[in-house]
Amino acid sequence: MSRIKNRIRRLRFDHNEMTQEELASKAGCTRQTIIALEQNKYVPSVELAFRVAKAFGVPLEEVFKYEDSQKG
Amino acid sequence: MAPLQKRALYSFVIGLILTIALIVVFVAQGDITAFERDPNLRLIMYAVLIGVPLIYLILVNLTLRKPAQLDERDRLIIERSSRAQWLAVIFTLVVWTIALTEIYRGQGQVPIAFLKLIFIFTSTLIISTLAHSLGILVGYWEMNRNE
Repeated sequence: MSRIKNRIRRLRFDHNEMTQEELASKAGCTRQTIIALEQNKYVPSVELAFRVAKAFGVPLEEVFKYEDSQKG
Repeated sequence: MAPLQKRALYSFVIGLILTIALIVVFVAQGDITAFERDPNLRLIMYAVLIGVPLIYLILVNLTLRKPAQLDERDRLIIERSSRAQWLAVIFTLVVWTIALTEIYRGQGQVPIAFLKLIFIFTSTLIISTLAHSLGILVGYWEMNRNE
């Protein structure tokens, strides 16, 4: 499992219950990729990560975070 | 199911049916020598050999042309599958070369045509390995050039 976690599912609901299809359309990817991202089964490229953040109108770090196992 | 996944599933099922159909035809005709005896069968085989890769390329291109149906995750999966495809081709060539060599040696005679086939198999193996290394070198060279 990747150490990069995201809040896409939470943000979708906070943004007027945006559907996966709508987010996929705004971010320029397929709905299946959004599903994979939400389930933490796929780590996006930097470009896609920025596009997803832009689709929500928030900075990148509000969508994705790196969980460092060194920290407590 | 992703569009690429759906297309791959259809291609796999169609390919499997076609392969089984070809095996059934050869079994019904007796053996592999039917390829030489029956001109119709030979023409069908040529059509399959040319037609299948052509249709496959057209279908793949049609998918690749639609950006909404294909994103970076799909491209990553395509790249990984290409590696599996390359290994499968090489493995098949190696198995056929060894199997046929042993069969012919067991019979006490190796046909000249088979020796030519071995040459084709071996050169394909060498060229594919060289092309792979060359592809990596060109990839690094292009990236360094763009820096």
